[in-house]
Amino acid sequence: MDNFLALLEGFSVAMQPMYLLYALGGVLVGTAVGVLPGIGPAMTVALLMPITYSLDPTAAIIVFAGIYYGGMYGGSTTSILLNTPGESASIVTALEGNKMAKAGRGAAALATAAIGSFIAGTVATVLLSFVAPFVAEFAVQIGPTEYVALMIVAFLTVGALLGASVLRGLASLALGLFIALIGVDALTAQQRYTFGNPFLADGIDVVLVAVALFAVGEALYVASRLRHGPVKVIPVAGRWTSWMRKEDWKRSWKPWLRGTFIGFPVGTIPAGGADVATFLSYASERKLAKGERKKQFGKGAIEGVAGPESANNAAAAGVLVPLLTLGIPTTATAAMMLVAFQRYNIQPGPLLFEVEGALVWALIASLYVGNLMLLVLNLPLVGIWVKILQIPRPYLYSGILVFAAMGAFSVNFTPVDVFVLLVVGVLGFFMRRYGYPIAPMVVGLILGPIFEDQLRRSLAISQGDPIALVSTPIAATIYVILIVIFVLSFWLKKRQQAMEAEVVEEVPVAVAEQKEGGK
Amino acid sequence: MSSSINGAPGRSGTTAPARPLGEMIFAGMIVCIGVVGFVAGAGIPIPPSAGVVGPRVFPFLVSGIMVAIGIGLLIQLLRGHTGAAEEGEDIDPSVKTDWLTVGKLVGFLAVHIALIVPLGWPVAAAVLFFGSAWSLGAKPWWRNAIIAVVLALILQFVFAGLLGVSLPPGFLLEGVEIFNG
Repeated sequence: MDNFLALLEGFSVAMQPMYLLYALGGVLVGTAVGVLPGIGPAMTVALLMPITYSLDPTAAIIVFAGIYYGGMYGGSTTSILLNTPGESASIVTALEGNKMAKAGRGAAALATAAIGSFIAGTVATVLLSFVAPFVAEFAVQIGPTEYVALMIVAFLTVGALLGASVLRGLASLALGLFIALIGVDALTAQQRYTFGNPFLADGIDVVLVAVALFAVGEALYVASRLRHGPVKVIPVAGRWTSWMRKEDWKRSWKPWLRGTFIGFPVGTIPAGGADVATFLSYASERKLAKGERKKQFGKGAIEGVAGPESANNAAAAGVLVPLLTLGIPTTATAAMMLVAFQRYNIQPGPLLFEVEGALVWALIASLYVGNLMLLVLNLPLVGIWVKILQIPRPYLYSGILVFAAMGAFSVNFTPVDVFVLLVVGVLGFFMRRYGYPIAPMVVGLILGPIFEDQLRRSLAISQGDPIALVSTPIAATIYVILIVIFVLSFWLKKRQQAMEAEVVEEVPVAVAEQKEGGK
Repeated sequence: MSSSINGAPGRSGTTAPARPLGEMIFAGMIVCIGVVGFVAGAGIPIPPSAGVVGPRVFPFLVSGIMVAIGIGLLIQLLRGHTGAAEEGEDIDPSVKTDWLTVGKLVGFLAVHIALIVPLGWPVAAAVLFFGSAWSLGAKPWWRNAIIAVVLALILQFVFAGLLGVSLPPGFLLEGVEIFNG
């Protein structure tokens, strides 16, 4: 009951006109960047961090929460309406929605995605409100040894599962850990890997690396193989109020709920994030469909949009559970949210609900508010999102570069930082080119220092005996769970590849082209 | 992986032979960073106050992982398992890498860095936008120029003028109140 009161308190903060305005700004920016290819919520949070430094923490966190949810909504618009879908989190969803749009049912696809996202987002936020304090209570009792175990789980799942190649994912993670080492050791004040350079002694700013990898790396990579010519968007017919037919409602509501209850738990455990959730939902919808409807899968089945889109949003809320209660991010966006918290000297973790209760509950309340705003705004404003989607690509990527340069310069107001941006950006270009996922590097960069601190603490307690790291019951349990998650995830991945190959085979040419060398 | 259904050169088609070399260099670089990590890591002084686990342990651990993974990647590459380049909505999988455009963008970023202090942020930003848009194929040039200048001024106004982010306005805009935080 205490938590319920705290949540009401949170609403009283989030409903203040000023904060409502920030939430509105956040969801609008979030949707816009979600719509635009090449920009994601992670990059947006990273870019806005230096330039929102003058806001008070609550306002900033509310803006970032809006961006976080808005990005999910925007992404579905792109995958449904753009002729060349390819968003990694929803490749199969993209397929069904895109097929629906091409068959003139784009409006229904957009509507079922938006309403499903709203329902999933709301239910999952309710679950978050109840589960998170409970997990936090448990988390207060765990010590450094268990933390080390949890972080190893996060590292390995993020590193090995977020990309197509396990080794490349781990390499990306290790690069992040390495960059995080540059600077002064927090425990002994010794310089590490600074090579006597005073600039390196301060360490390389996380925001700088994130912006470089997400923005500059992406812009350079897209530039290297830019799809020229006008952006082809599939037109949407009719007024948005008449988009969902009775039949569509009937076919959508079960997938929405199933997607929600698949997505949330998958989001809370570090198992590859939204990717796994959308796939699981898609697979179950495909399995449950009967007769005529089953045949529609791969050709534009509304269930194949409704389920995965809901799962995607529910997973996004689920990801906030380990982030808020343990301080462990399992996606790139969550990692950037963690940095945002740290900038304001707020340390997510078991004590967050006690120390910063008001702020956390305001954040959770603003998630409810933001979700409602997104539902209300999204469908009527689809015309605007289509316009945004059509921004000529040369201007889009030039704009991204300018924003990135501004963000980098604003970190310390020195051109040296923009130079670091350029260097790391080139690294990001080659990583994309050679199939190294970016997210593990960012997670490694952010969790690395925390991990080292906890590792040294637990080894100090055990007098340097590494066996102690696995000998407490909770830590041992975590490692066993790790193995289970790993085996399960690899099995799922195999299934996913098999199913994608199967679905794609049924729908030749256009999809086959962008699937090539797929994930 | 089916190489091509519609005749477009796929990943296993024309672009493949050039890539392993670049990939091998990248993997080799990971090994090198690991080795440097060991050598430089051995030079980190351990103060007497440090406990059982000093400042060198974690660097050694990370360096070791990098060397191991890098070697693993090299072996994979030698066996012909190349990486799958990232996909995206704006990526055309059928074209070869356009190094010239990448080079131009890197060049304009470098120019931008050099201009921030002497000419101020708005000028540097306008040059970056104009140069990038031109490199990416936007036409005509005068429209690019107008957008570049307007965008730079808007950003300077919003972020420096309104939000108080200290972007240097440069001598051209020094006296203009709205562009200064």
